[in-house]
Amino acid sequence: MALRKATPPDAGTLAPDRPDDAAGWSLLLQDDSPAVRAEAAAAMATWPECAVTLGAHLLDETDERVRQALFTSLTRLADDQAAAALLPLLRSEEPRLRNGAIEALGSMPEAVGPRITTLLHDGDPDVRIFTVNLLGELRHEQVLPWLLHVLGHDPAVNVVAAAIEVLVEIGAPEHASALRAARQRFAGDPFIGFACDLAIERMEAA
Amino acid sequence: MKLATSQITDADFQKFREFFYRKTGMYFDDSKRYFVDKRLLERVEATGNEDFRSYFIALRFEASGQELQHLVNAMTVNETYFFREAYQFDCMVNDMLAEICKRKRPGGRIRIWSIPSSTGEEPYSIAIYLLERWAQIDNYEVEILSSDIDTTVLQAAQRGVYSQRSIQNLPKEYLQKYFRRLGDNEFQISRDLIDAVDFTRCNLSDANDTRRFRDIDLIFCRNLLIYFDDLSRRVAAEAMYDALCPGGFICLGHSESMSRISSLYNVRRFPDAMVYQKPLDGDRK
Repeated sequence: MALRKATPPDAGTLAPDRPDDAAGWSLLLQDDSPAVRAEAAAAMATWPECAVTLGAHLLDETDERVRQALFTSLTRLADDQAAAALLPLLRSEEPRLRNGAIEALGSMPEAVGPRITTLLHDGDPDVRIFTVNLLGELRHEQVLPWLLHVLGHDPAVNVVAAAIEVLVEIGAPEHASALRAARQRFAGDPFIGFACDLAIERMEAA
Repeated sequence: MKLATSQITDADFQKFREFFYRKTGMYFDDSKRYFVDKRLLERVEATGNEDFRSYFIALRFEASGQELQHLVNAMTVNETYFFREAYQFDCMVNDMLAEICKRKRPGGRIRIWSIPSSTGEEPYSIAIYLLERWAQIDNYEVEILSSDIDTTVLQAAQRGVYSQRSIQNLPKEYLQKYFRRLGDNEFQISRDLIDAVDFTRCNLSDANDTRRFRDIDLIFCRNLLIYFDDLSRRVAAEAMYDALCPGGFICLGHSESMSRISSLYNVRRFPDAMVYQKPLDGDRK
């Protein structure tokens, strides 16, 4: 007993029949074992054509470890297909899925950028709120113009409130006029008035 | 002839840093420019290339990966010493191992993974701690695995020769017991300890490497993730999660926080240290 030299980790502990193509790993994504599914999800990050499969599997997967592997692989792919695979999750009823999608999408500005305008005009105000949340994560040069557009035009008070919250963090004193205009547009809503005043105060103090 | 730093242009640096990041997960921000340029130019010269451009083409299309490994060896920082951040070793022998043993049969195997190995100071410190300060050592079979992406340091770890600076925190009795003086400033660790640790190359960002590590009870991964960007940290955290047994522990460096990287782990506060734990089955968040 005491200290013992380890057996080499590749001698016997390696599963002998790991696939060498995307189709093989896609099959393992259906395995009963969460450990195998997580391994498959991680491995699929090297095949861009797997983005659709990874995104679709997120809707059915219940194991948290596997979910994180799916999100991480889509984040590693970070291309147009990965963004397309994540966007439907903004409509999910499950906060963890939505938040995971926002975090992943937030790290792929080049793939997400071209889709933001469409998302900000979605008929579902919840999707527009989550898109505004996404803007808070996104490192894209258009984030401020997009937020200002929401402040100036979105009809839903909750969407505008979300935009004010993000603007407090990334805006500057010159955006106070847009906040005043939003305050005016929702003159009957005490919360927007309060949020705009607070935002202006913080921006001007910064 | 000494090569000028200006031979690496801004565009070269960008191109190189993106390539190196994709291969290793390590990301160099602009403040590391001098460090990177110096080592890159050394490799350009050592490989007989005329300039960065021809070197980079050769690097990208080299099938063996040998030059990439040379570059990794040059770009990694490997300064450490025995009994560094020892409060976590105290936590290991005072608390974590007791919990691990509750899930083991008598005589069962306990597997500890130290990554990055660097030149071996950490895995050997773990070994010495276990032998000297853990009363249960004879009741279990303990395996120590130690890995690094840098093959040069793995070779140095297996030679086990250390400077005065490296061993300065070691109690004198341990120095006498486990080391042999080679010269004024050189000490060689005992063959028994070298033979007790299994050293292997591993890139934490590469699933083909990390998939070999399973059934680990305790991981020391200290002061490594600070060199990674957010995504690579997540990949590494998930790879280590898969490597751990349910209930297994992970120790990070004092400036690192798993809570900011992944929500998969639980935080455990012991008297000696705060560590992270993979939930037991049925105890998931």
